[in-house]
Amino acid sequence: MSQGTLSPAQPAGNGGAGIYQNIATRLGFLLFLVFAWQVATMVTDIPSYLLPSPLEVASEFVRVVGDGTLFHSLRLSLSRMFIGYGISIVGGIAIGVLLARSWLVKQTLGSLFLSLQSLPSICWLPFALIWVGLNEGAVIAVIILGALFSIAITTESAIRNIPPIYTKVGRVLGARRVVLSRDVLFFAALPELIGGLKIGWTFAWRSLMAAELIRQDILGVGNLLETGRQFSNMPLMFAAIFTILAIGLTVDTLIFGNLERIVRRRWGLEK
Amino acid sequence: MDIEFRNISKQFQRVEGGVRQTFQALSPISFRIESGEFFAIVGPSGCGKSTLLNLLAGLEVPGSGEVLAAGKSVREPGPDRMVVFQEPGLMPWMTVRKNVEYGLKLRGLDRTERRERAMRYLRKVHLSRFADAMPHELSGGMRQRVSIARAFALEPKVLLMDEPFSALDSQTRDLLHDELQQIWQETRTTVLFVTHNLAEAVYLADRVLIMTAAPGSIKKIARVPYSHPREKNSTEITDAIRALHDDIKEEVNRVAAREMDPEWTPEDSKKRERDSFTLGEGI
Ligand SMILES: Nc1ncnc2c1ncn2[C@@H]1O[C@H](COP(=O)(O)OP(=O)(O)OP(=O)(O)O)[C@@H](O)[C@H]1O
Ligand SMILES: [Mg+2]
Repeated sequence: MSQGTLSPAQPAGNGGAGIYQNIATRLGFLLFLVFAWQVATMVTDIPSYLLPSPLEVASEFVRVVGDGTLFHSLRLSLSRMFIGYGISIVGGIAIGVLLARSWLVKQTLGSLFLSLQSLPSICWLPFALIWVGLNEGAVIAVIILGALFSIAITTESAIRNIPPIYTKVGRVLGARRVVLSRDVLFFAALPELIGGLKIGWTFAWRSLMAAELIRQDILGVGNLLETGRQFSNMPLMFAAIFTILAIGLTVDTLIFGNLERIVRRRWGLEK
Repeated sequence: MDIEFRNISKQFQRVEGGVRQTFQALSPISFRIESGEFFAIVGPSGCGKSTLLNLLAGLEVPGSGEVLAAGKSVREPGPDRMVVFQEPGLMPWMTVRKNVEYGLKLRGLDRTERRERAMRYLRKVHLSRFADAMPHELSGGMRQRVSIARAFALEPKVLLMDEPFSALDSQTRDLLHDELQQIWQETRTTVLFVTHNLAEAVYLADRVLIMTAAPGSIKKIARVPYSHPREKNSTEITDAIRALHDDIKEEVNRVAAREMDPEWTPEDSKKRERDSFTLGEGI
């Protein structure tokens, strides 16, 4: 090298593509998949009850939106999530704080939770049906059992990972107990706490779908799948799957993803 | 505010090889710091410097004895004693100004008073332009200056500094030495300054306490009888550093001998040191 010129830094990995280019590429790929799917159903003679065409799925989608089935199911599922996940957040954080603060709770409840966490929460459904009864409560119990432990355990780790310097600085500046927790420790733990809530949401949503799928006596988006199967309505099953996927993606990326990014940026954890 | 350490000792519980053991960090020691004095503590790593400072801060409780601040026994942190730690410890979710204001808010100052006072002390460390920046947008040296402004803004009677500059490069450190010296001369706050850099201690302090290796005790308390502001490379200062150098070296070697392999001798380090030690270096 004679001149030793420095070229401007190139962002690695994406060849310098901007955010719009990224989105366009993803959308393009999605459209291509749908198109390929449509072509595949047209040129082969796969029967509709095995693989419906995207157009059939779309028209079924329009039908269930039109007659209110989809929104009714969605409302039921989301209100179960609202209650079950809400209880898990409040309870999980409270238990997480206790786990981090009390040696006794950690040794007793802590080890119990850790082992219970590895059990898929849907396994509790039969118990819940007997103990809680054939009602909404049993489904909500399964949501809670799915989310509570993981939220409690991540909350504990978020608190334990708070760098001790914040406690020292807070105390020196005059914050004590409640004020210290509210003004300093809460915010210091927040980035990791949000991660825990996100994982908890995923567990809760999966548990609910499993419970709705198994139970034939209640409505919900998970139950739409089973209804579709019983009536050999494959387009309905696809419409349900896409709805479940859409909700998962919305909450994961739009809500939690953005929340995480905002907090991490402000905290200076990423640019 | 005058400070008295009276028969202070400190033990820690440690688990070594699965066995709980009591570790003596400080053997009983007593000394006084005069009001308005700049007092430095120097000693080898692990000798208990931070423990002493934390005792005065109220972040630790003594095993025996008492720390008295203006005659009152220290039990917990208080507004008369502020600490600058080795890490700036700025809260990353607050702007620079909010960081400085937080302690004032806890003290009950209203918005305008807080703001005015925070800006006044940010100006003292020449960072008022960065008042609305986030901590992560600042360099390490700038963050430490914010931390110093945050401590001074509460107008404490004693400022405690625990190796505040040891994570910084030497140019930044020189700059901060001068800033600190200037603010100290303006405010005449009592300062307890912990460091393992002897040159730094001699340059800044009125008196320097040299500690022995753990369990920490007093090896020597030396007065540096020159008025402030001082000249960094003046012969008086370099002579004073030289005079204390052997005391601290002896203790550092004692720690090293405990930690190094058995074939190590102090001569190994002496040779290297003669080649590289220039007086006043790293001040
Ligand atoms: N909370 C604690 N639990 C157990 N041991 C501790 C604790 N705090 C300090 N010690 C021990 O006490 C001794 C003195 O610690 P201290 O932090 O006061 O040393 P120091 O002189 O500040 O050292 P350095 O120069 O490395 O900062 C060390 O051996 C340390 O390991
Ligand atoms: Mg220390």
